[in-house]
Amino acid sequence: MSDATHALSIEELIGGVDDLPSLPAVVMELLGSIEQEDIDTAVLAKKVASDPALMAKTLRLANSSAYGLQVKATTIQQAMTFLGYEAMRQLITAAALTGCFPAGRCPSFNDRAFWRHSIATAACARVLARRVRFNPDYAFTAGLLHGIGRLVLVTRFPERYQAVLSLRDKRDCELAEAERALMGLDHVDAGVALAEHWHFSDTMRQAIAFYRLPEAPGAGFLATIVHVAGAVVQALDLAGNPDELVPRVSAVAWTALGLSEEAWLQVFHDTELQVEEMAAILMA
Amino acid sequence: MSDTYEMTPLAHLYPGMVLADALMDEYGHVLLAAGVTLNEAAIASLARHGVGAAPILRKEPLAAPGEAEIQARIDHLFRHNDREDLGDWATGLLRRYVEDYRLKRGVAP
Repeated sequence: MSDATHALSIEELIGGVDDLPSLPAVVMELLGSIEQEDIDTAVLAKKVASDPALMAKTLRLANSSAYGLQVKATTIQQAMTFLGYEAMRQLITAAALTGCFPAGRCPSFNDRAFWRHSIATAACARVLARRVRFNPDYAFTAGLLHGIGRLVLVTRFPERYQAVLSLRDKRDCELAEAERALMGLDHVDAGVALAEHWHFSDTMRQAIAFYRLPEAPGAGFLATIVHVAGAVVQALDLAGNPDELVPRVSAVAWTALGLSEEAWLQVFHDTELQVEEMAAILMA
Repeated sequence: MSDTYEMTPLAHLYPGMVLADALMDEYGHVLLAAGVTLNEAAIASLARHGVGAAPILRKEPLAAPGEAEIQARIDHLFRHNDREDLGDWATGLLRRYVEDYRLKRGVAP
């Protein structure tokens, strides 16, 4: 099926989502409970601590300069006390997600650049969210997840994705256009399908679904933040992609953020500062 | 990796290299101060103290790309943006801000 050239249906895509890596149970719980307030943090800390790799990565993130802790946290419970449950939930998710897709299935797909773009978008979305007084932890996770559908396409249909990448090079278009032309759907559709399969919260699903169309009715402000953050990261050339192409920025989204030039330059600076450190931790 | 120094493994340390930062042993005692030029004895001493790598000053800071190079890269990144297309002003504004940022022009009055 994977070498066929017909358009993929959502059913085919979802049918195969079961072949995708599964998330650690603790992360499934976290993603599903994003709007839920009554979580027993002690139980959560214990669950994370039972996965040493996940715990180490989470702690390194919590102690990174982006979070500005004066005292280093040495346990998940301690980090939870310092940073709060919300922030920790996002950090644990980030730490778990970045290791869970197999790399190198599709030779022309640059896994490193993909993750650098995702991590940088997460960092920039967080910086932007703080400026506009939106929940920075939601923004971080949405930034990290916005392109996750691309990994679904690459993992499930590596040969077809190879052709997508060639077409993109030939047309010098946005990747989503090439995906649509050859697969009949794009990474946004795949991301939404994955969000449902993995029981992401509605907030995250909306951000994934609308980050390329932030002015669509009902898109939500998170889509606006992720849309602009992604473009900023491409404009700052942070992913390390030789063929990086800045997409058209939605004027509606840009206006909605309402930042002065001075504020933007500060956002660029703050984002750049955080990316290297976060990438070093998450891509270890 | 830093622009000004490089963590260099013990096996690649040579006399004449300059330490970018102080080296300490596991108890926090300074073995060699920042700015010290390594000689054979110093390298041997590092090996004895179990130091695996040292921050070595780069001879020349990595050559910063020139303005023309930076501008060319930004133009490449924004190759789908037409500066004259007023309908695409948001992309154009992002482009100008990134130019101001990268070329250190500062904020326009």
